[in-house]
Amino acid sequence: MKKLQLFALAMVVFLSACDQPEPQAQQPEAIADSQQEQATLPVPMEIAPESIGRIETLPATYPPHWILLQDAAFFHFLTGKVIVVDADSDDPATRVKGMFNTSFIGQFVQAQSRPEMYVVETFHSRGTRGERTDVLTVWHKETLAPIAEVIIPAKRFSGMPTNYNLQLVDSERLAVAYNFTPATSVTVVDIVDREFLAEIPIPGCSLVYPMKGRAFASMCTNGTMIGVEIAEDGTQASMSRTEVFFDANNDPLMEKAAMVDGVAYFPSFLGRVVSVDLNGSEPVVGEEWSLLGADDSGWRPGGLGVTATDTAKRIYVLMHPEGYEGSHKDPGVEVWVFDTETQTRVDRIALALPAISIGVTRDDDPLLVTTNINLEVDVYSVADGEYRRTLSGTGANTVFQLHGSL
Amino acid sequence: MRWLDKSAERTARNIAQRTSRRGFFGKFAGAVVGAATAVPLLPVAKAQENSAPAEEGDSNSCEYWRHCAMDGFLCGCCGGSVTSCPPGTEVSPITWIGTCTNPVDNRNYIISYNDCCGTSSCGNCLCQRNEGDRPVYNPRVANDINWCLGTTSAIYNCTLAVVIGTALDE
Repeated sequence: MKKLQLFALAMVVFLSACDQPEPQAQQPEAIADSQQEQATLPVPMEIAPESIGRIETLPATYPPHWILLQDAAFFHFLTGKVIVVDADSDDPATRVKGMFNTSFIGQFVQAQSRPEMYVVETFHSRGTRGERTDVLTVWHKETLAPIAEVIIPAKRFSGMPTNYNLQLVDSERLAVAYNFTPATSVTVVDIVDREFLAEIPIPGCSLVYPMKGRAFASMCTNGTMIGVEIAEDGTQASMSRTEVFFDANNDPLMEKAAMVDGVAYFPSFLGRVVSVDLNGSEPVVGEEWSLLGADDSGWRPGGLGVTATDTAKRIYVLMHPEGYEGSHKDPGVEVWVFDTETQTRVDRIALALPAISIGVTRDDDPLLVTTNINLEVDVYSVADGEYRRTLSGTGANTVFQLHGSL
Repeated sequence: MRWLDKSAERTARNIAQRTSRRGFFGKFAGAVVGAATAVPLLPVAKAQENSAPAEEGDSNSCEYWRHCAMDGFLCGCCGGSVTSCPPGTEVSPITWIGTCTNPVDNRNYIISYNDCCGTSSCGNCLCQRNEGDRPVYNPRVANDINWCLGTTSAIYNCTLAVVIGTALDE
């Protein structure tokens, strides 16, 4: 009974609240004010509405001073990026031209003969867990969109990026990707037909260096290089092996070679250079020379991206003084430039900040670009060795590889 | 990689002071490295040690003696320890090794740098030292490789430094 009384009381309160008086008629003064306001309101303009859904595109051939920053995203590997940046620009906003993702330390290479770029990358079906799938993804240079992918054996090398984990051979018909499980092999993909062809075991050897024709070379723990010719079906047609020409433990050759006209120049930990000609059917070891002059005692090559090349057939090496066991990945304070024909140093560029990686644009007036120890990208003119600018605002976190656009 | 350490600071001082070194240590504070010593790679003794090696130093510091060939995030800063993986991760069964000198007994020990896997980068206590590190074509002593191999996930979280034996003098 008491509940019923409470309910009746509540209904009375509710109905009385609903029974509000009608709004009072406006006073004459208020009407006048309202008319005055309306008179001062701007008249809506007729405008052409902007279109929704526009997406920018890039030229199929990038301007020569556009660079590609390969951001491994060291602190969140799943969302690496390649960022296209105009290294000539002083405007932090507009110098970024676009970007695309690479999943879990993707390895990257550009094509020269068509507007495509390639990445081998790894996905798990649930992000960090679930079934692993490795793919070779084809990115278009104009749209920065993935236009194809080839599923490859889930074995591709996962580790710090270098230029020799993924390469193009046979006039860019084939892509070859280095596998490490830790058994070592090479995945062969017909990149024109977007088709996985075969896997070639390379026991005791690692990485892929492009050889002339339908072939690749690899460096081996026993101090040799192998050359592997690829059959039509992607399997191994033949394998050759050099004599032992380096020691994998004592003053080893860095795997981060500078390649000029099919010749790979390997700097050693202590500053020797050994060249290997990859233009024939087999790797041919060339003569050895030194990066160091008479007054260069203690200088050594070092860093992550240690070498670069330009179109004048010069090689660039990141160097640091006072080297010691374990300094081969230390930041460099200078970049030394060598003529590969005379095997002499032709330039010495002092860096504004020490750098961990270098790259050079592919044109007649090249820029040297570096990832400095603040993990920012610095730009220098090769012609005068002068620091030009720091490319802040690119959104990159850990740019370990810098590529001049092809 | 050694772009975060005292050596870089030293070499940085040697160059023209054209720009500031802002943020050099601030951005990734804690990743510092002790004095480098040349440690030869030595054959591995059979792991017959009955007692743990004598210890000194902070195992969550990059300067800690076991970290002479470390390249990664220290698991002790990620919910694990120098010998145990953080919760929710799995340990890689294969890895690279280093040969490090224990300052207490001045003996060389073989260190197994197993990665802990299945969770993305820990992000804490990044440590990079490269004594005895060699290029990836010499994988057993190469620290540029993601050693999350033989695990259900290839995703790298952090790295252990487990003593697995003493090194023989040659």
